[in-house]
Amino acid sequence: MKSPVGKKQISVIVPVGGRFSDVAALYADYKAGVAALDLPYEFIYVLDGTYKKTAAALDGLRASGEPIIAVSLTRRFGEATALMVGFEQASGEIIVTLPAYSQIEGGDVGKLVAALEDSDMAIGHRTPRAGNWVERLRRTAFHGLLAWVTPVRFHDLGCGARAFKRRVLEEIHLYGEQHRFLAVLADRQGFRVCEIAVRQSPEDRFEGVYGPRDYTRNFLDIITVFFLVRFTKRPLRFFGMIGALTFLLGAALVVWLVIERLFFGQALADRPALLLSSLLVVLGLQLFALGLLGELVIFTHAREIKDYQVERVIQFADRPVRFQSGSPDDNRSAAG
Amino acid sequence: MRVPEIEKTNPVADRPKLSIIAPFYNEEDSIRPLHAAIVAAITPLQVPFEMVFVDDGSKDETLARATEIARSDPRVRVVRFRRNYGQTSAMAAGIEHANGEILVTMDGDLQNDPADIENFLAKMDEGFDIVVGWRHRRQDELLTRQIPSRIANWLIGKVTGVPIKDNGCSLKAFRASLIKQIPLYSEMHRFIPAIASIAGPRIAEIKVRHHARQFGQSKYGLSRIYKVLLDLMVIKTIASFTTRPLLCFALLSMVPALIGVIALTSALWAGLAGPDDMPMPIAGSGVIFLTSALILFFSGALGELVFKFGDIREREFARLTERVIRANEAEDPRIGA
Repeated sequence: MKSPVGKKQISVIVPVGGRFSDVAALYADYKAGVAALDLPYEFIYVLDGTYKKTAAALDGLRASGEPIIAVSLTRRFGEATALMVGFEQASGEIIVTLPAYSQIEGGDVGKLVAALEDSDMAIGHRTPRAGNWVERLRRTAFHGLLAWVTPVRFHDLGCGARAFKRRVLEEIHLYGEQHRFLAVLADRQGFRVCEIAVRQSPEDRFEGVYGPRDYTRNFLDIITVFFLVRFTKRPLRFFGMIGALTFLLGAALVVWLVIERLFFGQALADRPALLLSSLLVVLGLQLFALGLLGELVIFTHAREIKDYQVERVIQFADRPVRFQSGSPDDNRSAAG
Repeated sequence: MRVPEIEKTNPVADRPKLSIIAPFYNEEDSIRPLHAAIVAAITPLQVPFEMVFVDDGSKDETLARATEIARSDPRVRVVRFRRNYGQTSAMAAGIEHANGEILVTMDGDLQNDPADIENFLAKMDEGFDIVVGWRHRRQDELLTRQIPSRIANWLIGKVTGVPIKDNGCSLKAFRASLIKQIPLYSEMHRFIPAIASIAGPRIAEIKVRHHARQFGQSKYGLSRIYKVLLDLMVIKTIASFTTRPLLCFALLSMVPALIGVIALTSALWAGLAGPDDMPMPIAGSGVIFLTSALILFFSGALGELVFKFGDIREREFARLTERVIRANEAEDPRIGA
């Protein structure tokens, strides 16, 4: 391992939005877990919207000398944005995100950080996890479908407890609801991601059944990951396939109608199926054009898009060597 | 040799003339012999050179051995990937990290012979911008690799208009100023000359030796034909319509427009006899096709917008290969490809 976790600072980011527990009690729980690591630490609370009581509680904690930074946003931007806002304030080499409600036992935070010894990111996996069989089935189905879309298998993407090295968020820009896929995106970016078993907090135990909204959300999540992972680099492969299928279906229908017209005397003019076939042909063409347009977007920005991540450059020479592939390339910038 | 404008304005201190780029993926047995062969082949040419070895996330001893070589030879730069990204990315990274004026790419598995590089340099000095190798006596299996690749090369040549006999040969030489400006992304390594053709380079093709694989397994087999076909289509579109997406889509929209007009006219013609005689399905189809033509046309307008805010400028591409001849100056001897 190149960089062992030495006396590095830990920045804990807690995005507050929607569901949250008593601030002071939760802070004490987390703090005990983080302090056990014996590393300097700071807490960054991002208030995603107006939370007067929480803000007051944080002020109280700060007044009593706790290392807390509170950032409040004027409206609700979403958890992914809140994480990015918190990250801007973070000065630590190690970033820990923790949910604003009691989800895991605070004492297990140390396990996540310790896992960074030989990986770049650790995500919690609540075990044993409460829930009835419907719930378990939903979770298994969700993560199974996700594994079909992306090669790595995760078991608990909904866990808000994660620890990662600073460079993970330096390279990944989250927006919308992407905080749930940070592990997937980090893996795609070439980082080593591991899952660490953590104890579930008693408060987080939920024995009911989720409603249709949660299922819709799960479904949209899978589609999002599918697009992020599979489609962003080669749009035509995706659109082209669907477009070609539609087109061929329509074309086959047209051929069938023409054969019927020529050999069986069925007049084309009274066949509503003709409308369907033209629609399919046209739709296929349109989808294909969309894919081409997507490729055009990629091509015109290809110089900013990097398909690969360089771990390091090794050269034993007098001349200075660029270590990160992300650093500005003197040859290119002068020419471009 | 005339050096393009860009390089004159951007002098890089002690810049080697030649960079040799080789990607490695689990090639622990090949890397040392390859380094020795390159040094043996280039040293007599008396050309300052460097080597860029890209380790494409190997899981064997490749990185350790590459590091050893780098320690003993300061001309070697090792670029280590975080994980395996594939050959195009490895080539792209090698090109990015190379400082030479002429970049030569080759396989890391000893199938190319570094002794051929001399001929590549000679061709570059003649004024070519890209020199492509042609493995005229290929040491691969005929049925599974050679015949599919011949078909693919013929197709690529026909579609892109850059007739190269062997697109799959990794041994190629590029002028750095040109290739560093060409966007290279996922699995496009087969088509580098075709993509580069948007800049109008002078391309030459020369025969190279090809050795049978000595160590390890072949990693980059034939990809699925579907991907190649789609890639071809993308490159064709991009290479012929780079700066004119509207034109491209307008031409595409002609097809449905024509079908639509014919269908609608025939339906209306039949409808002249009496309103009840108008064949509605045919009229409807005509309307659908006309609508599609319109949407396609406007997609082209969207394409223009994308292009306007992208970072590809036709002028830049032209600059990569242009040669300005002023009064009292003789023109370069120029050889078409």
